[in-house]
Amino acid sequence: MSSVRHVRGFDIAKPLSIFTMVGVMLPLILLPLASIFIYGTSSGLDKFWQALIAPEAIFALQLSLVTSFWATLFNVIFGLFAAYVLTKYKFWGSNALTVIISLPTAIPTAVAGFSLLLLWGPYGLLGRFTDQYFHIMFTAFAIILANIFVTFPLAFGVIKPVFETMSQSLEEASATMGATRWQTFWHVTLPSLRGAIVTGALLTFARAIGEFGSTILVSGNLASRTQTAPLYIFAKFNEGQVEAANAIAIVLALFSFFIFSVLFFAQSWLDKK
Amino acid sequence: MNIAASFTDISKKFGETSILEDINFDVSEGEIVVLLGASGSGKTTILRIIAGLENCNTGKVILHGKDVTELPARERGVGVIFQNYALFPQMTVEKNIGYGLKLRKKSKNEINKKVDELIELVHLEEHRQKYPSQLSGGQQQRVAIARALAYNPEILLFDEPFSALDAQIRQKLRREIRHLLKQINVPAIFITHDQEEALEIGDRIAVLNQGKIEQIGTPFDVYNKPSTEYVATFLGTANLILGVVNNGVFEAENIDLKLTDDLFFKNGQSVKLIFRPEDVFLRHPENLTQNYQKLIDGWIEEISFVGAFERITVRINFKNGQLITFTRPKTETENFPLQIRQKLEIGLVRFRIIPNFPLTHERSAKVY
Ligand SMILES: Nc1ncnc2c1ncn2[C@@H]1O[C@H](COP(=O)(O)OP(=O)(O)O)[C@@H](O)[C@H]1O
Ligand SMILES: [Mg+2]
Repeated sequence: MSSVRHVRGFDIAKPLSIFTMVGVMLPLILLPLASIFIYGTSSGLDKFWQALIAPEAIFALQLSLVTSFWATLFNVIFGLFAAYVLTKYKFWGSNALTVIISLPTAIPTAVAGFSLLLLWGPYGLLGRFTDQYFHIMFTAFAIILANIFVTFPLAFGVIKPVFETMSQSLEEASATMGATRWQTFWHVTLPSLRGAIVTGALLTFARAIGEFGSTILVSGNLASRTQTAPLYIFAKFNEGQVEAANAIAIVLALFSFFIFSVLFFAQSWLDKK
Repeated sequence: MNIAASFTDISKKFGETSILEDINFDVSEGEIVVLLGASGSGKTTILRIIAGLENCNTGKVILHGKDVTELPARERGVGVIFQNYALFPQMTVEKNIGYGLKLRKKSKNEINKKVDELIELVHLEEHRQKYPSQLSGGQQQRVAIARALAYNPEILLFDEPFSALDAQIRQKLRREIRHLLKQINVPAIFITHDQEEALEIGDRIAVLNQGKIEQIGTPFDVYNKPSTEYVATFLGTANLILGVVNNGVFEAENIDLKLTDDLFFKNGQSVKLIFRPEDVFLRHPENLTQNYQKLIDGWIEEISFVGAFERITVRINFKNGQLITFTRPKTETENFPLQIRQKLEIGLVRFRIIPNFPLTHERSAKVY
């Protein structure tokens, strides 16, 4: 800081830098977000409401919520389990596993969807044997699988560091007091992870509900059957029904705002207790 | 006295490194045994073996007559007060204390009653609904003790419980803990690297050096009758003079000191004379203590004032000009002031002779 010239009174650097920052954010982030609200409500709230309660739209929102829910549930439980195993036990290949679990962050979602197709599709590696008994691709299950794939590392990534910093002596104290492993996990370990679990779940859910790239490949994008909310936006826009697309876009945007506010404001509360 | 716990021939290796060797001691009912040793001497490892958090390679852990060596920690019923207390951060003081009883499927009523009783015992009435992060270090420690007492532990184990607190609080807590332990009469093992703490808290002290117990005895004995040089120097300042024993007399250059203790040494055996700074007496006409022996003459090299007493460095009448230090209380300082280069006759009130082992591995042979 010694190179900065400190002047008594008005410091021009402050308003200038804030102005620049907002100036960059405005066209890149703030205006696009604002425009969906401005456009979506420009032809009246009534129209907006009609677009929202269209059966296809409701179905798309529901499908998104349900598939994201299952993907979140799976990834939180698995993330918790994987974090437990990888911090408790050191074994040959444990570092490699940590890297592999984190890998999906780096894979383009279209590639994720494509690879699922190559595995479970009718001519896929496994799909060619299973296709005669049941179908996975182009069903809601495919959407869940795709969601699991792309959100795989999120909960794990939040929970593992908490496990690592958690004092081992808490669990040992619990054991000396007479607790079984399971009792210790339930009464001591899990409460310490509450904040991380909630954060991990919200991140996973938020990411899953907006997933597009992988879903469009594996779902088949059939309206009222396998069309999630983001796919609905894309489809309606392509059909020229901009209001319909916009209504759902607003819902998704509000939903993300909501999740991030919860994350932001509840974080300190969750960590404390 | 009834034996509450005993540990026999315990040894432990981590990989190829031997961490503990031949650990043998027991704790009587209501007794406080202190494990005193430098950092890394294996104190925590002994405690973890007793608690069942670590296996031992050989040896037995016996609690109230029952061999628990093969039992997991949760079946041993031992109370551990960890170095950082390890209170459960999401539980209130009450919940922390009641946890052991809840695990034992006690009724709500029974738990509440016991928790009330313990909260009163450790004086935490106003804090019962607080979380550990809202408590001071001393209060957290009392919760940790109450929590361990809730399920009537076989023995209490303290792992340096004061190391996280500042010096002044430490002194106060020492007395509190000793008082509490005597009140409830539960046997305890107390770990520390602080010799003053050990002397104040322990009924007996086991001095640990590199995984071996060098000596175990009352604070008076380990301080005044150290059986090894390590014990002598670890428990305070000690003067050491090399010599030999002949017919019950310690001989060195200009020293002939008659041995008073019935220790058995071969004639001509190489030994060390050990004495503490406060066990030195000066000869002057007014100061006629009956029970001291003349050691040697010397000349005062340095006098320093150390608050409650005076510390004096003396060059004794040896060819090598060896220095020894002694201390004397304020009353004497005022009545008989000393000057630098003054000649003195030095006598000893209390001293100790230990075998001199030139090689450390020979140290394991002890004097009894
Ligand atoms: N789990 C472990 N693995 C390997 N070495 C250990 C382990 N625990 C302790 N040690 C070693 O054992 C020695 C004694 O440790 P410890 O019992 O903690 O000593 P203290 O409590 O007296 O400081 C130390 O040298 C320490 O490095
Ligand atoms: Mg230790």
